[in-house]
Amino acid sequence: MHDLRGLEDLGVVSVGVCSTDFIEAAAAQNRSLGYDPAVVFVPHPIQDRTDEEMRVLADQAFDAILRALQAPG
Amino acid sequence: MSQELELLDPTAELSPVVRPRIARPASLEGKTFGLLDIAKKRGDVLLDRIEERLRERGHAVRRFRKERFSIVAPPELKQDIRERCDIVIEALAD
Amino acid sequence: MNPLPDGLHAVVKRECPTCTLIEPVLRQLAARSSPVTVYSQDDPAFPASVKGVVDDRELEVSFRLGVQIVPTLIRMEKGRETGRAFGWNRAEWEALAGAQGLGPGLPGNRPGCGSRTEEPGMSFRLAARFGETGLASRAIRVPADADPIEVCFERGWTDGLPVVPPTKERVLAMLSGTTRAPGEVIGIVPPDRVECTVEKAAINAVMAGCRPEYMPVVLAAIDAALEPGFGLHGVLCTTNAVAPVIMVNGPIAKRIGMNSKGNCFGQGNRANAAIGRALQLVVRNVGGGRPGEIDRACFGNPGKYTFCFAEDEDDAVWESYAIEKGFAKGASTVTVFPGDGVEPIIDQNSRTPEALADSYAPCLRTIYHPGQVVDVAAFLIIAPEHARVFYGAGWSKQRVKDELNKRLQVPVRELKPGFGTDERLEKLKRENPDATVPKFRTGSLNIVRAGGTGLFAAIVSGIGSITINPVTKEIKA
Repeated sequence: MHDLRGLEDLGVVSVGVCSTDFIEAAAAQNRSLGYDPAVVFVPHPIQDRTDEEMRVLADQAFDAILRALQAPG
Repeated sequence: MSQELELLDPTAELSPVVRPRIARPASLEGKTFGLLDIAKKRGDVLLDRIEERLRERGHAVRRFRKERFSIVAPPELKQDIRERCDIVIEALAD
Repeated sequence: MNPLPDGLHAVVKRECPTCTLIEPVLRQLAARSSPVTVYSQDDPAFPASVKGVVDDRELEVSFRLGVQIVPTLIRMEKGRETGRAFGWNRAEWEALAGAQGLGPGLPGNRPGCGSRTEEPGMSFRLAARFGETGLASRAIRVPADADPIEVCFERGWTDGLPVVPPTKERVLAMLSGTTRAPGEVIGIVPPDRVECTVEKAAINAVMAGCRPEYMPVVLAAIDAALEPGFGLHGVLCTTNAVAPVIMVNGPIAKRIGMNSKGNCFGQGNRANAAIGRALQLVVRNVGGGRPGEIDRACFGNPGKYTFCFAEDEDDAVWESYAIEKGFAKGASTVTVFPGDGVEPIIDQNSRTPEALADSYAPCLRTIYHPGQVVDVAAFLIIAPEHARVFYGAGWSKQRVKDELNKRLQVPVRELKPGFGTDERLEKLKRENPDATVPKFRTGSLNIVRAGGTGLFAAIVSGIGSITINPVTKEIKA
């Protein structure tokens, strides 16, 4: 969350990808940072996934990632 | 000493004002993407696939990596990203 | 409070025999055309023979005048104090009053008594109430019908156990333990990356149960934990079990009554318990590092309430950790390192240093995983009865480390699968599985002495990496 805020402060449009285990952590960080960066959540857990499962997760998140980077409409 | 008890606040007394995100472009066409790997396990596989998908759409993609997920990205890295990309996707916090 | 009007002012209390002795003098001075004003600290009906005694049981006047002894006689002229006498001395009083023949029949001189403002703890109560405290923290009102301890819970300020409610007077008392100004910034606390001032440290130290004399240690511990080399952000947000562990070296440990002997990692010593807890509360309250939020620990460990001890430096056979790190003999230091908990090693038979090293090595090998050689560190704590075996054989601390290192060469074929980003090890495993690599990178296995009776040693394991390392700071003021 620090990185996303830092990058947007530099003018780079940013989105983070986090596992769902981070939903509360992200919310807590955002409250204290006073910033609400764009985040797309993928289902936890991650570390035991096969490569194929990871690619599926990427595909499932892909459209949401692009949406978070574009002006609506 | 009969007065109402007062305690001193042990916290940082943050009363944050939530700032809006910076403006999103109307279109992503022709944008250069930076993929920032925070160096957590499996994040690279996810970013590989996102890179494939972006390239299919004709985007230039540059890859970046933090030394450790537990550190805030150093200023040089952020500046490097800013010089070379329009947009960044950071993954994968788990 | 406005300055006192011109004239004479006397501060007294009934409990003081000198004050009761000089009642006739006060009566004489009260009968003059510009009468003395008498302030009574304990009984507004005293002295009964003087009219218009000012009730100063709240001690506001005494506090503002800085009265230390009663009786005190003060002369004000044109809004300024031009003279002050303590106790009873006829010549001084007559000079101040510009009068002759005060207290005929009384002895010429009689020392006074302590002012009520000097009672234990009173100065902080009065400073909190009437003084310019210089404190910047927001005051939180506790409703009259609420228990302040419960208010602390509700506000999310605690580690799950009750805390001492941080009243202004307790915080001022805590601040008396350091010469550093309340507003001085110690450092930036992750994860919220906000400044921690000496004042915020003092508030959390109060809540943790510290005494003022622990403050220098608490401040140095926070200072050390906020050094970039310690990697507090990583220690906080990891899924691993680690907590910041505090170890104190040097004379301050004894001065403030820390425990380095039996049960040194256990309960029952206030300094050990409260100093460790103060650091944890700073992390929680100032930095915002709370479990379930940024703190992602899978298990955590009980040391996350508090984990603090002193090295036992009573025998000078081995150098202390602080001296090993280049600090002067006689310096007091605090070291913070990430620790998981305590893993005892029981060996009640070995009589030679080689045999003890043979016992320690396989225990150290298993930390995290017998095949893990990356991101692992440990403090090996040797109790006196084991230390004597090494001393007897003339082994230095470095010799013990070298011998352990020899026994802790891990065959590459036994490395645990999945090194993540460590390509060097993966490559070595493919190309030369018979090679060995050390379990601990240089400097990540430390040895200190502590503990009580028994043929034991103990391991406190923890993360050790490029970004997470022990940090030592000298304890100043």
